[in-house]
Amino acid sequence: MSDGADASGNTDDDTVADSGQGPSSETGEGATADTAGAPATEVDSDATGGGPRKLHVLTIPYRLVQQGAGIVVFLFFIGVPGLTGALGAEGGIFGLLAVLAIAAAFVGYFVAHYQRYEYELTPDTFDIRSGVFSRREREIPLRRIQNVDISQSVIQRILGIASVGLETAGGGQTEAQLQYVGEAEADRLQSEVSRLRRVGDATADGTEDGEVAEPSAETIFEITERELGVLALVSTDFRVVSLIFFAGSIFGPSFFEELEPVFFGPETVLGVLFGPIAAILSIVAIGLVAGAISAARYYGFTLTRGREELRYERGLLQKYSGTIPLSKVQTLSVRENVLARRLGYAALYIETAGHVASSGESGGSQSAVPLAERDRVERLLRSIEDVPIDQFERPPRRARERYAVRYSLVVLALTVLSYLVSTAVDFLTYWYLPLLGLLLVPVAAHLKWKHRGYHLGEDHVVTRNGFWSRTTKVVPYHRVQTTVSSETVFQRRRDLGTVVVDTAGSRSITGDDPKAVDVDVETADHVREEVPDRLYEALRSRNRARNQERIRSQAEGGPAIGSADRTDPAAD
Amino acid sequence: MSDPADSAESDADGTPSEPTGESDASTDAATSEDRSVGTSAATVEELDEELVEETVGELRRLDPRVRLYWVASRLFGGVFLAGLVALGFQFAGPEFGLVETPGGLPFGFAGRTVLVGVAVFLVFGGIAALHAVLYYRSWRYEVREDSLYLTRGVFTRVQTVAPYVRVQHIDARRGPVERVLGLSTLVVYTAGSRGADVTVPGLTDDRADELQTALKRLAIESEEEDAV
Repeated sequence: MSDGADASGNTDDDTVADSGQGPSSETGEGATADTAGAPATEVDSDATGGGPRKLHVLTIPYRLVQQGAGIVVFLFFIGVPGLTGALGAEGGIFGLLAVLAIAAAFVGYFVAHYQRYEYELTPDTFDIRSGVFSRREREIPLRRIQNVDISQSVIQRILGIASVGLETAGGGQTEAQLQYVGEAEADRLQSEVSRLRRVGDATADGTEDGEVAEPSAETIFEITERELGVLALVSTDFRVVSLIFFAGSIFGPSFFEELEPVFFGPETVLGVLFGPIAAILSIVAIGLVAGAISAARYYGFTLTRGREELRYERGLLQKYSGTIPLSKVQTLSVRENVLARRLGYAALYIETAGHVASSGESGGSQSAVPLAERDRVERLLRSIEDVPIDQFERPPRRARERYAVRYSLVVLALTVLSYLVSTAVDFLTYWYLPLLGLLLVPVAAHLKWKHRGYHLGEDHVVTRNGFWSRTTKVVPYHRVQTTVSSETVFQRRRDLGTVVVDTAGSRSITGDDPKAVDVDVETADHVREEVPDRLYEALRSRNRARNQERIRSQAEGGPAIGSADRTDPAAD
Repeated sequence: MSDPADSAESDADGTPSEPTGESDASTDAATSEDRSVGTSAATVEELDEELVEETVGELRRLDPRVRLYWVASRLFGGVFLAGLVALGFQFAGPEFGLVETPGGLPFGFAGRTVLVGVAVFLVFGGIAALHAVLYYRSWRYEVREDSLYLTRGVFTRVQTVAPYVRVQHIDARRGPVERVLGLSTLVVYTAGSRGADVTVPGLTDDRADELQTALKRLAIESEEEDAV
């Protein structure tokens, strides 16, 4: 494409970096100036998408500053003085030359990397040819692409570049990461990939081309300011809080000893108050920071629905956008922690096969809606999979006994521990205090029981678990992979069992599968056998529907191409 | 469990390829028998069909030799554990007055240390053997019409149902100890995260081959049913 502009840009970079300035702002600005015209030519030259393309020119200075500069600066300030000290002035000059050579090598490498990185979007594959020393050529079939993510940090937004990630079902990591392309190019790639994927699917299905034309994107969800506020409030990480308590209990006493002379005497009250106040203040501070971070992260969250996909956009400083193809959805989960539940809010997660959100949070599953009023979440969920999520069969009441026994044992263990500590340390006189926890045991057992449940719906199996963070999972029968029931020794004493419904969803790798816990053993057996049966039924009726559609379109004279390779093990 | 009306309908829809008996031979034994009588030359597929028919619908146990395999593979761990305990005893023993003098063995090991090691090893081996026997007793598998069913477990009983439509591929594994005993392990992979849960150990080599072929056949059939 615009090779002339590139070449001049490179030489400029070389001269700038060779002057030994390292990560000066000049590098960035110079490059910005000389490539200002580049995005324009990029867009003009081939709007059709034909021919191999290159990354955005600004990639070179950006990556140079990001990765190379630190090392060069380190060498310049540590290596050169060090050599000067060791070998005198000659050593210094030698060091300086070495630093310059290394800087030049970095520049050379990044320029070469840029020059040798090409990608191309063909009607059915996405090709990438890359590599300086060892070449790598990849062809990713568009049908296998689950998701196209765009992310931009603040600096990238200023420079007008974005990182594009392509996710496929295979493996746990992003299949390809384009670092970096222009903003317009990123948007183009995202919409082109989903358009071409739709065209591919449509010809395979034999549906008419007219329907493919343009997705009628409608906004189905937009986070309100109020919800953002609640999100900030609710998303305080309690693990951090407990960490503070832990740290406080370890370092607090010694700190107190230091302070003892100060607070000894009439100000003892102050000494007593100091600890709790400090703890509360730090909790509030950390809560505010965590809240602000998640509010910034989900600022302006919108979800739009295209023909066969959801598209999300979010972020105040760091911007993300991505697509979730509805045909690849494995499970939907609604999660409400205690606080959010009280306030009537919930979060919605969508799992697709093998997808790991490149944004890195939420451990592999995509947060479709970070937080919204519960009925909005429910409406959204029902627009994707129409199933009620408030009908549940509870486990039998005797399951509560199990939890009661379990919690009592924990309380007793704590008591024993505290007794042992009190005999060893000799100042803990109230070692039997943990026994008070026994009073809470029945309540805790009941709450745990109350929030468990499962439901075999018409087309879905729904499970619910957890008191502190209640998760409701919806699995369509046609996504079920295997079912596993198990009974531990303790469960068998009470004729209880657990059934796990396994899917290809990425989140289940972390062991967070949809499961019906502590149901009657006969129910467990029934569910284990019934779900695979319904899986077959669901597949059959889906195929019938697909067949009929194909026949109809054949009758109407549409293109009739067999759907032989439509079976996608991970997605079907 | 596939209802006949269903398959009849899909055939009436004029889908190409397979004859009726092919896709649900397992459900409809009569049809496929007719067919095998009708045709003279037994093709590979038909042999597979027979194999499938023989295999389907029986709760089976593993080969008894698998107990040896389990004990043997656990004894490696036992040796390690015994060694560790013995070492601990050798160095911590004097503190508690258990080992008075260094023994006459090389590196100053006491005879008692060796005894402790052997004792630990025997106890561990005993437990391993007991567990292997009980585990073997609990193990059953069944090749059903549309899914593979496994049940096993001593303390926690686990039952797995793996529908054939979900089978990605099937491996037969033979480790060194298994090879000595003439045993194989069949691993059935699904796209699910619990793919590794569908593992059938302790099959004789022939049985493993048969089962692999039958499961492959059933998986392909269910796939066809799926694709129809």
